[in-house]
Amino acid sequence: MKTIYKKLLFLFLLLPISVLAQSTLNGVVLDKASGQPLPGVNVVVSGASKGAVTDFDGKFQLSKVVKGDKIVFSFIGFKSETIVFSNQTSISVSLQEDASVLNEVVVQVGYGSVKKKDATGSITTISTKEFNKGANVTAENLLNGRVAGLTINTSGAPGSGSEIRIRGGASLNASNDPLIVIDGLPIDNKGSVGATSIISSINPATIESFTVLKDASATAIYGSRASNGVIIITTKKGGKNLEVEYNVQLGIGKRINQVSVFSASDFRNIVQIRQNQLVAADPTTGVNLLNSLGTANTNWQDEIYRTAEMVDQSLSVKGNLFNKIPSRLTIGKTFQEGLRLTNQFERNTVGLAMNPTFFNDNLKVRLNANYSNEKNRFADGVEGSAIRFDPTQPVYNPANTNYGGYFEYTATPNGLPVINAPWNPVAQLMQTHDHGTYRRTFGNIELDYKLPFLPELRAVVNVGYDNSYGDRMRTVDFNSRSAYINNVLRGVRENQTESKTNKLFDGYLVYNKNFSDFAFEATGGYSYQKFQRETYNSFNVLNPNSEAPDVNNFGDQVLVSFFGRTNLTFKDKYLMTLTYRRDGSSVFSPENRWGNFPSAALAWKIKEETFLKDSKVFSDLKLRLGWGITGQQDMGGANFLYLEPYSLGNSNSQYVFGTVPTTLAVPTFRNVNIKWEETTTANIGFDFGFFNNRLTGSVEAFSKVSKNLLSYAAISDGSNFSNAGFQNIGSLSSKGFEITLNAAIVKTNDINWNVNFNATKFERRIDELALGSDVLTGGIGGGTGGTIQIYSQGYTPNSFYVFKQLYDVNGMPIQGAYADLNGDGIINNSDRYIKYNGDPDVTFGFASNFNYKNFDFSFNLRANLGNHIYNNINSVSAYYSLVQNNTVLGNIPTSVLDTNFIQPGSLGTQSDIYIENASFLRMDNITLGYSFPNWLEGKASLRISAGVQNAFVLTKYSGLDPEITNNGIDNTIYPRPRTLLFGANIKF
Amino acid sequence: MKNLFKLSYLALAMFVLSCTNDLNTIPKDDDQFLSDEFFSSESSYKQGLAGVYGNLSLTGTQGAGSSNISGIDAGTSQYGRCLWYMQNLSTDEVIWSYENDPGTADIQRTNWTASNPIFRGMYGRAMFQVALVNEYLRQTSESKLNSRGVSSATRAEIQKYRAEVRVLRALAYYHIMDMFGKAAFVTENDPVGDYRGPQYDRQQLFNFIESELLALENDANLANARANEFGRADKGLAWMILAKMYLNHESYFGSAKYNECVTYCNKVIGGGYSLATNYRHNFMADNNTNSAKNEIIFPLQSDGRTTQNYGPTTVIINGQVGSMEGNGASLGVGGWGGALRVRKQFGDKFADAAFANDARKTLITTGRNPIITTISDRDSGYIITKYSNKTSTGANGSDQGFVDTDFPLFRLGDVYLMLAECQLRGATGVTAAQALGYVNSLRTRANGQTISATDLTLDFIIDERLRELHWEGHRRQDLIRFGKFTGGSYNWAWKGNGVNGIAIPAHFKLFPLPAESVAANPNLTQNTGY
Repeated sequence: MKTIYKKLLFLFLLLPISVLAQSTLNGVVLDKASGQPLPGVNVVVSGASKGAVTDFDGKFQLSKVVKGDKIVFSFIGFKSETIVFSNQTSISVSLQEDASVLNEVVVQVGYGSVKKKDATGSITTISTKEFNKGANVTAENLLNGRVAGLTINTSGAPGSGSEIRIRGGASLNASNDPLIVIDGLPIDNKGSVGATSIISSINPATIESFTVLKDASATAIYGSRASNGVIIITTKKGGKNLEVEYNVQLGIGKRINQVSVFSASDFRNIVQIRQNQLVAADPTTGVNLLNSLGTANTNWQDEIYRTAEMVDQSLSVKGNLFNKIPSRLTIGKTFQEGLRLTNQFERNTVGLAMNPTFFNDNLKVRLNANYSNEKNRFADGVEGSAIRFDPTQPVYNPANTNYGGYFEYTATPNGLPVINAPWNPVAQLMQTHDHGTYRRTFGNIELDYKLPFLPELRAVVNVGYDNSYGDRMRTVDFNSRSAYINNVLRGVRENQTESKTNKLFDGYLVYNKNFSDFAFEATGGYSYQKFQRETYNSFNVLNPNSEAPDVNNFGDQVLVSFFGRTNLTFKDKYLMTLTYRRDGSSVFSPENRWGNFPSAALAWKIKEETFLKDSKVFSDLKLRLGWGITGQQDMGGANFLYLEPYSLGNSNSQYVFGTVPTTLAVPTFRNVNIKWEETTTANIGFDFGFFNNRLTGSVEAFSKVSKNLLSYAAISDGSNFSNAGFQNIGSLSSKGFEITLNAAIVKTNDINWNVNFNATKFERRIDELALGSDVLTGGIGGGTGGTIQIYSQGYTPNSFYVFKQLYDVNGMPIQGAYADLNGDGIINNSDRYIKYNGDPDVTFGFASNFNYKNFDFSFNLRANLGNHIYNNINSVSAYYSLVQNNTVLGNIPTSVLDTNFIQPGSLGTQSDIYIENASFLRMDNITLGYSFPNWLEGKASLRISAGVQNAFVLTKYSGLDPEITNNGIDNTIYPRPRTLLFGANIKF
Repeated sequence: MKNLFKLSYLALAMFVLSCTNDLNTIPKDDDQFLSDEFFSSESSYKQGLAGVYGNLSLTGTQGAGSSNISGIDAGTSQYGRCLWYMQNLSTDEVIWSYENDPGTADIQRTNWTASNPIFRGMYGRAMFQVALVNEYLRQTSESKLNSRGVSSATRAEIQKYRAEVRVLRALAYYHIMDMFGKAAFVTENDPVGDYRGPQYDRQQLFNFIESELLALENDANLANARANEFGRADKGLAWMILAKMYLNHESYFGSAKYNECVTYCNKVIGGGYSLATNYRHNFMADNNTNSAKNEIIFPLQSDGRTTQNYGPTTVIINGQVGSMEGNGASLGVGGWGGALRVRKQFGDKFADAAFANDARKTLITTGRNPIITTISDRDSGYIITKYSNKTSTGANGSDQGFVDTDFPLFRLGDVYLMLAECQLRGATGVTAAQALGYVNSLRTRANGQTISATDLTLDFIIDERLRELHWEGHRRQDLIRFGKFTGGSYNWAWKGNGVNGIAIPAHFKLFPLPAESVAANPNLTQNTGY
């Protein structure tokens, strides 16, 4: 009966159409600004179910339209246009870009997404259009400097990983790395054998957007791994229209700076000065250093580096496979040489995305599959020996046939090496063959099913998988000085492998319902994730005293979670988000393993209130308040502390009973009470827009307090199997302030100029340490086990802990003379004081994009103010006496001229004279481009560009580069090249 | 339908439950076990024993750069290395050139504080030894062995192991008692974890060590002197610790126990030890197999292949290599460019022509000023070549970095000089003629000139102990016993941070407890003066 009724109704509906006259309309839709055809525009007849979508040329055909029909043209990011049909046969419609589109941006929030205008947490999204231009071989550099509170510090090595910090991190001894989630799959943050970094295997060209979750109201849905913030990477999806895009970038990089040491001619003078000092100290000395001088003029820092080339290509094809499956295939090929001789990075990637829908779009499937193959040739860090090597010695010595023709210090010509003499760094690079390969497959499949009998409810299942295998073989030629082991030139052959697997299952339900003024969304679900890791190391098989080959299995690390979130909106003005996550982690005991991580956020769209609704000045104003608790469990692999573990010793660590070397079995540190570190974050922010959103931005203030820190702290001696270990003691807090501004300064048909500015100020403080005891940290070169930093209550972690240098009346430092700060008449360790730290006071990012007709010009600047560096190179080497490097000569930093220090002396490395202000302004990238929008008779578009990466750095820091990781201890870094770039982008 | 719903609900619940069980992960590595699983194999007990002994030589399980204690550089935290720094570097015997190595400057300039990382290393390493012994005793308790069904043959061996590890615990507490004068007292009956042991003062520690060793010397499970495998404790070691404690009893507590010292020295002599045929054999790469095996009562092992560590012998032999001389090849090592030199007062002890041919004099003086005015000037000060990584037949040790040379923690030569000293201090049980004989037998062995009875005085003994036993971990204790360490009666170069030496206060007879250890265990009180 029912069915018959329905059928009848259907006939009634059809009736008017069949009676009235019908026509067919052809047309084209163009972008008003560029005049380019717009593919994918929805063309529908208002009030009717029929419609069409424009094709690749912007064309559409709409049949059976009748006069008076209202035809609506809509496209995301553009203002809709309505045309009344008046029996035209063809029509051309131009759509204008919608300025308010910014507010419609959708941001990922973990297990779902929200419209940016409805977001309640501190979230920043950077998507394709806003990515940094230039050479960005690793994905994280696409957003370096663009997000307030996010710092990314990448070394100069090809394909290098980065130290990523969101608001400075929240931990002392546990990890400070943010959680990275790729298409819903959280990945571990440890690199792998054979690869340059964990993110290096991702082709940046496949990335659609980064969403940075900063405060706990946004991150708490990730619970126990969210204290250091979360970065959600979303990859590009498939499309329905065929589109081909090819990108190529060529680069040539050069070293722009060097550690200041003496040139060969200046070095000869310095050796003479040192000889005079020796004679003055002991007129009978038989030593004559001048005899050791060579005749060459070598700049060793020139010799170990080269001009480095780069080619980065990607090809992506988007289209509707079998007319059913919107797909995207991206192939990437990257080749990047390092400045260091022999160092190179090669990456081949394939990324596949498929987004079919089934059952009337009720079931959405999102498949992402990525394969990456990295080939690396690693190069030893020889900067230290290049700095110290005698510049009067040559790189090559053809007579040294036993050493492949390289110069080496030998006892007799071409004979055995001089022990304790340095090695030729060029030979070390050229004679070392350190190759790594890394294969990684990762991806996920997400099924998002809207229940047909209850359309308010969606069920989502996401299964993720990440598997990698790295293999590294390091060989050193038998005739290399660096492989002179136990009086034999024996070479090195060492093989390491690592395999890792990360499996994820998420299942959750989303319920969505509007009740008059209320909009309600609830999400609840379950997540299971397992990490496995196994490594192998052969050690140097050519050295009989090397450790025996060993396989290490790190055990399973499992995380089981339950989570939920509700979004409640009242009158589209007042928003509330509540989240809750309950995490169970295998690294804690059954009693302590479950942690609860709640959060709450409120937002008030003030702009929607009557008193602002009609404001011409304010185009947007929203207040956000957030609070939440997040956790930390990453103790760097200490996974079984709550159990009673025993470790066996390796083959070099045995004890001999009689004549039998016996493997050691040793109990290791235990803590049955070990549990989560908890961070409570409060955040207040305003999002604002002025003048029709020509100026938008946000200001935020935050406060984070981490309690029950996973501190590596002293424990009462004799009752545990160490004198220190991980315990939940202490607290750390950080407070900060962030500003982000985006301005469309000029916006005309021909000229567009957008700028982005952000500034961050934050301070980290140790509030409480275990037992109130200071902890020395920050290992330095010069002195076995030497440190230069301290954890101390009331101070920033890793503050420098130094002696106060005394100066003479002329302002010259007096060697080894330090202030007796505690006034006890003795200069000892109690006279050190805390001076500065490696954290910047303020960081700035500035990006500018300027378009004039088909020209585009953009640049990115970054600045840090008030960050300090301990110059470990000077503190170890800048002494006249070190012109003697054991039995040979060695170069020293020119800063010795400023100090006139002769001997390293007692505690010489600990002087505050080596702490320098390293504030800087860096021009990351300048790019000039020109577009040919109608290339090949309009069949394609072409953009060509030229640019400079790492154009310049302004700083007073005396070392190589003011931007270093390692908490501000500069012990030579891999220099960052200045790279000239040429690129082309072609779209069909 | 309802049933289906119930069933799927049940399935879901079971799925979640089984996943929750996945949280109970256990180690999967072939080098990592849980204690019960590990000791389910009977061969594990000897590996556990190696773990306890290994702590005397090794700093961790993963090679010389690994450490199971913190607050100090891994390699520096070696048991014998810390002991050597505290007993030798603090005296007239030696200078360490690289004062940027944390803790070394304070020790050799005798102006240390409680924050010195080497003190933390010594106390932490010795207390870790106590913890390892206690754990071993717990894992080998009757009830544990019963529950694991250990065979009677293995049980008999385990009883021997248990006796031996108790000697090692006594040894650790002896070192702590001597240097720090107090400790947290922890036994196998106390819990593992964050337990804070009560403070035992020097007398309480003495009494405990003495009672343990007196019991063990009568325990049939502890092997007779020289009757055990190489590398394992026997009654000779127990006697030697007792002899050392009685020798210093007056220095510790004011009342003499030299007679008891003689008793135990005589027990050692009765144990069958004999002097190595060559003095230098004691300090060579094969001192576990050459004639030194008859003299060394207990070694700290080192092996370039199987027992790699940055312990005292690796440091000494590499450190002996001169900055100008580059004489590593003659010592079987690469060398560390002049890390170690001797102070002027050390050279003075060998200045007399009587020592011209004495094997114990290994000074290299050519082109070197004996006076060190700038510590980091490695060309000043004499150097020595007492220890070597060459074997008695002239072959190199197995590795040019990590030496094969064991550190002679206790040896018979020391016992001879202890007996002579006790005789001079009025002990019974040893005659003056015997005392002279002991001293001269060492002299004869070293191709040195013998002395006459009138030469044999306490002043002679303290100097002779330097000549015979320098760089063997005894000097600070000896100087204290002779009243020459603190105060100003004997000032050596850089004592009290003066280039020619100045007096230091009496509280320097004890080292401060590490500040971190006091903070972590509120039962502990800091030593007076710190």
